[in-house]
Amino acid sequence: MAYRVALIVAVVLVAVGLPLFGTPYLIDVGTLVLVYVMLGLGLNVVVGYAGLLDLGYAAFFAIGAYTTALLMVRYHVAFWLTLPAATFFTALSGVVIGTPTLRMRSDYLAIVTLGFGEIVRIAATNFTFTGGPEGVYGIPHPTIGGFVLRSPQAMYSLGMAFALLVLVGGYNLARSRLGRAWLAIREDEAAAQAAGIYPVYYKLMAYVLGAIFAGAAGSFFAVKLTAINPSSFTFIQSVTILMVIILGGMGSLPGVILGAAVIVILPEGLREFDKYRMFTFGIGLIVLMLLRPQGLWPSRIGQIVRRAVAVSEASAAGRPP
Amino acid sequence: MRRGIAALVMLTFLVPVAALGVGAQGATIKIGVPVPLSGGNAKMGDDIAKAATLAAEEWNAKGGILGKKLEIVSFDDACDAQASVTAAHKLIDAGVVAVAGGYCSSAAIPASAVYHDASVAFVADASSNPKLTDQGFENVFRVIGRDDQQGPYAAGFMTKTLKAKRIAVIHDNTVYAKGLADATKAALEGMSGAQIVFFDAVTPGEKDFSAVLTKVKSLNPEATYYTGYYPEGGLVAKQFKDLGVSGKFLAGDANNDPTFISEAGNASEGVFVTSTPLPQDQSTATAFIDRYKKRWNQDPGPYSALEYDAVNVVIDAIRRVKVTDRATIIKAIAATKDYKGATGTINFNKKGDRASVLYITYIIKNGKFVPYGVS
Amino acid sequence: MQIALQQLVNGLTVGAFYALIALGYTMVYGIIRLINFAHGDIYAVGAFLGLSLYGLLTFLHIDNPVLTTLLALVISMGCTGLLGVLLYRVAYRPLLHARLSILISAIGGSLALEYGLFLIYSPSFLVYPHLFGRAGPSLGSIQISWLQVFIFVSSIMLMTALYLLVHRTKIGMAMRALAINQDAARLMGIDVNRVIALTFFLGSALAAFAGVLTGLYYSQISFLMGFLLGLKAFTAAVLGGIGNIPGAVLGGFLLGVMEGLAAGYFSSRWKDVVAFAILIIILVVRPRGLLGERVVERM
Repeated sequence: MAYRVALIVAVVLVAVGLPLFGTPYLIDVGTLVLVYVMLGLGLNVVVGYAGLLDLGYAAFFAIGAYTTALLMVRYHVAFWLTLPAATFFTALSGVVIGTPTLRMRSDYLAIVTLGFGEIVRIAATNFTFTGGPEGVYGIPHPTIGGFVLRSPQAMYSLGMAFALLVLVGGYNLARSRLGRAWLAIREDEAAAQAAGIYPVYYKLMAYVLGAIFAGAAGSFFAVKLTAINPSSFTFIQSVTILMVIILGGMGSLPGVILGAAVIVILPEGLREFDKYRMFTFGIGLIVLMLLRPQGLWPSRIGQIVRRAVAVSEASAAGRPP
Repeated sequence: MRRGIAALVMLTFLVPVAALGVGAQGATIKIGVPVPLSGGNAKMGDDIAKAATLAAEEWNAKGGILGKKLEIVSFDDACDAQASVTAAHKLIDAGVVAVAGGYCSSAAIPASAVYHDASVAFVADASSNPKLTDQGFENVFRVIGRDDQQGPYAAGFMTKTLKAKRIAVIHDNTVYAKGLADATKAALEGMSGAQIVFFDAVTPGEKDFSAVLTKVKSLNPEATYYTGYYPEGGLVAKQFKDLGVSGKFLAGDANNDPTFISEAGNASEGVFVTSTPLPQDQSTATAFIDRYKKRWNQDPGPYSALEYDAVNVVIDAIRRVKVTDRATIIKAIAATKDYKGATGTINFNKKGDRASVLYITYIIKNGKFVPYGVS
Repeated sequence: MQIALQQLVNGLTVGAFYALIALGYTMVYGIIRLINFAHGDIYAVGAFLGLSLYGLLTFLHIDNPVLTTLLALVISMGCTGLLGVLLYRVAYRPLLHARLSILISAIGGSLALEYGLFLIYSPSFLVYPHLFGRAGPSLGSIQISWLQVFIFVSSIMLMTALYLLVHRTKIGMAMRALAINQDAARLMGIDVNRVIALTFFLGSALAAFAGVLTGLYYSQISFLMGFLLGLKAFTAAVLGGIGNIPGAVLGGFLLGVMEGLAAGYFSSRWKDVVAFAILIIILVVRPRGLLGERVVERM
């Protein structure tokens, strides 16, 4: 327990101290962590809360980023006004991909979402209005009043504001009626249905909310990077986001933050290893999982339920073929 | 116990992080070299970084510049927008006075904005997409030509020298390849008599292009121009021959690598490659090639000489103004006049592009790139 | 017509590679419900081992192309099979009951294999010897080489052998029992770990077979070659109904042909979109793939 408190204090200190004392590079790395915190929290709604394996989550991230980028560059819309548009389009895409696929079981859902992710990326590469492979560049910095958010510190603060909003949203969702319904569906869909919870509606809600979180992350990503192209939204990106939440501990908010930090900082820290960087990263992932199979900071609710499920699974003898 | 071990493992990973911030201003003059060191383009990045190191070592052997030693700081940009932006911040943090390098245009464009905000000069060595300098950043230069210079050249070669009328253009949907393909297409459309019968992309990383080439075959082209990179280029050339597609096969300047020939085998004979002159065909570059081979015990890559020049242009600018102030270096690089590099004379125009870039065509004969005709 | 037949040949060639690799995905998934992300990289390892073996055999003055190819195939399959077992032992076995953590372990394994090849061999593209020419049976203007014929015939034979092994032998029965219920299988006296290890061995050996043939047929290999092909093969396995051996074969060939037709008659740069769109439609209509059976969901 003391270990957890110490970690929380350390994380808060680093998060606050970084823009004050950090170099631009460290602040940039910190900002990237925030992007993955947002993405992780969003995917956590889909995978952690609702139990739907999504391998194409980067698609929603892309839709948010492209909406903001295109509106700002082509139509000179202010950053803040692009946010409702990004929310609308990502939510819509959540419905579009969600509706036909939600009756599928998890691994088939995984490949369908993977396909959706690839379709979005390839379409962004092929269409002219999205800028093709070059993507959109020269995205202006956002402004508040007359103040231009340009410096790494300003971007970090903006990212922090976004991440905190998403964090509060994620926290409240878990404890809402929706959150309890998701938990029920995740653990036993048939029983939940018997209790009057209509799974398709709730699953769709998970998709839509998860998509909106990713869209917000995408809007921020676009103005942070000032140039986006389809290569930022590959299958690998989707997998990286998935790694964030599994490394951290499914369904756990502190876990997502920890997972995001590890996934960004680990490869950066390993830069000194030069050629051995990616190899070491791969080995590191295996070692981390072997040592902490439930993630770095497992959610306690999840743990209890998992134990219960393990017991019931063990007792359930012959399953139907 | 297990938790203790886990914490320990995590700490081990975090130790290098502590070292990240260290190393600002020192006794050396640092030049940043962002290149892909992981992913599919790692080989190119390695060749580029080696050329940069060679340039710095040569000056250091002469006692350095302004009484200080030069140091090359090289980071992996993975040819990725996000990674290149992070690498750019890290280079700036490390205290580089200017940046010379980069490979993929898709990584160079986002990074150029970071260098712009920090007023750091960025001399691109291999990123040829027009957008890089069209952004209007005063700190961005390049020593390579633009795709919209090579495109018209290739179009002219196909229609005038080869007298081809029906032309197929294949790219791979990367920033560079699409840019070159678009430029070629635009030039062909402006020429009377030339007809583009095919214009489409293959997917980088794949190995089987027979479906596309079968379609191309059915269109009976007189010339087919591939504008992607050599790993797929060699395969496209081989399958082009295997399927018996009509007409000549040409490839863009990312294919002037020996691997193209070894992949395609006999099918590479008679393939044309449009390119700036390779180092071995430039009298100015022979000395560089000898020194590179001696230092690294391998042949320079296609972009090594350009990187060598990019680094030297930066050094030349610093020597002229005798300060290491970043903004002053930008102005000094812009004022570069007739710098004699390994790839010829270097001047920059208003946009930061290299003035007067020469393109020639190579033909592959007996497993070697041989200049075609005399230009 | 000639063009259409040529496109069919093109698609079936690609499909053979998809099918060989899809089998590894489907077998492992069928038994332990794991999407083995490292499987594509196992295929790359097989290709690299094959290249080393060709080098070694040339060094030993064994020059007969047919003999060297057979030796390279067999030895590479054996070694890669063992590597697959090792991967299972180290990275997967301790995590068999942590469904998502094992996925991350598999991604870690994938990266470690990719960059292991990067470190041991080279970051650049390597080239296989050009041993077999373009000669082939004459079928009008359709281009097909003996090597392509060999790829078809040998992969169909291997797939049939695998099918017979799983459905006609005792060890195959153990595999199927395991797929249905691991605990019950253990109670029946089946050595669960050995059967799973054998599954990994077989899947990895088939991938190595595909790897060496890739080198021979396409001539170029690289440390990242397994990524994209692995993704496609996984798609093929799901298309056919994951966990189902004939399904993986059908899915592989079907995906290859679909891509070929999409590239040939629609547009090459949209072909993956077409392939994935068809996949999604098929899964909406048949949620368990073309030949998939009802399986119990395990979280």
